[in-house]
Amino acid sequence: MRRQYAIRSLTLLAGFGLVALAVIVQMIRIQNSEQAAIFLSQGDQYAGEFRMFYPERGEIYDRNGHLLAGNRTVYEVGVSLRDMEDPESLAYILGTYLGLTYEEVFKKLIESPESWSYVVIQDYVDVNTAAALQQLVGQMEDANDFRLDGMAFKPHFQRSYPETSLASNVLGFVTRDGRGYFGIEEKYNDLLAGNPVQVWVPRDPNKATEIPRVPNGTTLVLTLNRDLQAKVESILDESLVEYGAQNGVIVVMNPRNGEILAMATTPRMDLNNYSNYFSLYNDGSQYNRSIGTAYEPGSVMKVLTMAAALDAGIVTPQTTFVDTGSIQVGGFTIQNWDREAWGQQDMTGCLQHSLNVCMAWISTQMGPQTFYGYMERFGLGHPTGVDLAGEAMGRLKMPGDSDWYNIDLGTNAFGQGVTATPLQMLMAASAIANDGRMVTPHMLYSMLRDGHQYNVPSQYGGSPITAQTARTLSQMLAVSLEAESSGALLPGYRVAGKTGTAQIPTDFGYDENQTNASFIGWGPVDDPQFMIYVWLSAPTSSIWGSQTAAPAFSKVAEQTVILLNIPPDNVRLQIASR
Amino acid sequence: MQAQATQIIHAYKQAPWRVQRQWVGAFLLFVITASLVAALYLDVTARAAVAGRGIQELRIEITAIQRANADLGTQLADLTSTSVMELRAIQLGYRPVKPGELDYVAVPGFVAPEPAILLAAEDVSNPETILPEEYTQSLIEWFDERIKFGGAK
Repeated sequence: MRRQYAIRSLTLLAGFGLVALAVIVQMIRIQNSEQAAIFLSQGDQYAGEFRMFYPERGEIYDRNGHLLAGNRTVYEVGVSLRDMEDPESLAYILGTYLGLTYEEVFKKLIESPESWSYVVIQDYVDVNTAAALQQLVGQMEDANDFRLDGMAFKPHFQRSYPETSLASNVLGFVTRDGRGYFGIEEKYNDLLAGNPVQVWVPRDPNKATEIPRVPNGTTLVLTLNRDLQAKVESILDESLVEYGAQNGVIVVMNPRNGEILAMATTPRMDLNNYSNYFSLYNDGSQYNRSIGTAYEPGSVMKVLTMAAALDAGIVTPQTTFVDTGSIQVGGFTIQNWDREAWGQQDMTGCLQHSLNVCMAWISTQMGPQTFYGYMERFGLGHPTGVDLAGEAMGRLKMPGDSDWYNIDLGTNAFGQGVTATPLQMLMAASAIANDGRMVTPHMLYSMLRDGHQYNVPSQYGGSPITAQTARTLSQMLAVSLEAESSGALLPGYRVAGKTGTAQIPTDFGYDENQTNASFIGWGPVDDPQFMIYVWLSAPTSSIWGSQTAAPAFSKVAEQTVILLNIPPDNVRLQIASR
Repeated sequence: MQAQATQIIHAYKQAPWRVQRQWVGAFLLFVITASLVAALYLDVTARAAVAGRGIQELRIEITAIQRANADLGTQLADLTSTSVMELRAIQLGYRPVKPGELDYVAVPGFVAPEPAILLAAEDVSNPETILPEEYTQSLIEWFDERIKFGGAK
């Protein structure tokens, strides 16, 4: 009996052992089969996904913390084809809410390739529309109606400009591909955009590894003063209407450190609707004319010519010149703007009456080497290095260039035959307003990153003239404005400056009827805190800068002293003397 | 006498029921130990899974809050934009000031404020924060680590 029992037990044991062995063999065989490798790789695909984390684009503020460029949430509305229950209902609802046709949506849902599991119906859907759709889906699910199953919403950021067109020429814009164009958005695109990070995100919560925090793009604080920018833009727009000008530029800069406080140009565009770009601008140089368009500035250039002559010791303020109304340079006759002879003048008189003949005489006295040496040191023909995309550098013809002629020495002295952008002129003249030290204009005040603020130091472009020359010329320019009771004067404040009226060159010579009216000025003269450049293109009410650009300067200066809290000279000097 | 005592001990040791009880005891000890390890493993795994899920949800919540924060900031900027504020000021009866209407008061020691640090700057100076391993490693991995590094880690 016992033996029989033992045989049965052994038989059973052997049977179970064989089965167990067969299971183990089969397990090993399956795990090492070709199919297993395929299944494993398929399983890995569902274990998680590589996800790209795009940082929030850095914001842009003005110097007082007003947001100029931020981000707002929009939605990508799509359909998960695997979860889709009723394409007809989805097509009808999505078409109605998103402004699409039923057929358009239905075709996307039905005719998508089989390998697709998700199809985008519309991107950049605003928050309100997405919320209404989400609410509808929720209500239907509550009622156990699953016809809208599969509808999906993916939120992401879109660039937003709360001030719409304010400072649009400075800021630039960001397209839907996330790239910045023009201005700050293009210049600092890499900083603002930050660094996207690709991370493997497992679905298994046991493997919930820490996704690295993706730092936002760098936030930028500009030197711009929003309120002053708004005022300057308003004055520019009014000036265009009042003087019948085609386009214009007004730039306000701090001559001590190169901070640009306002930069207005026309036309401007609503940055939230950047598709208008092509209807407003013929080419990129027009987007911000203060840096992108070089033009013949005319008599404002006389400031630089006089600075060079004073600094080189060719003339002093008391040097006299007998103006006969014309001068021969390089075989050509140069005349004054009114074709009149102004008789004996000192150098202040030459500036006050804006005498071309006097300036041509000065430049010939200096000679080309000295004159162009100074003009180069003033930065003409070179970009200013301003931190805005799309800067032009103008043209300063030099002796030896194939298109330079002897007469250029005479005409360049009063701003003909030489081109510069308004910002180049401001930079050059900053040497006069800033005791001989030329500042590099800049727009970036500081950067905010990782909880730290990094202030951008001011940069200087050399000292083309001495401090003594700068002060002397400032006084001469202030006196010349006062002597002619210029429209640029600002009651209570002593300002220095110079008008410019330049005929516009065409392919057939200079246009007799159209001019570029300009004014460059700064104040208060004894302690300059602002520099203003005004350029009105082709004004029709008057062709003269003294009657168009100069009054515009005065209006801008008036708002500048208010918004920058600059007291009148008598009050300021009274305070300083205590 | 001594031989008798040796026989009794020998008989006791060889008693079949006593040998069987030792085997049963050993087996039960193994089962209990294995159960304890399995229970501990399940507990740790479950807690890790719950914590992991919680982290995933918190991460989604953080993203949503950051997005809402950015939206609110932009909305605030919309409401305080130059054009809106100017319109509100005019509606409230204000007008732009003229230079002659301003009075300047000298305040000894006053220094005009420079643009201040924007507090909105997010502090992500320590972005490399990693979850403690207790939240992510399995019991086997924990044992493996202990065997390799002992208590040193």
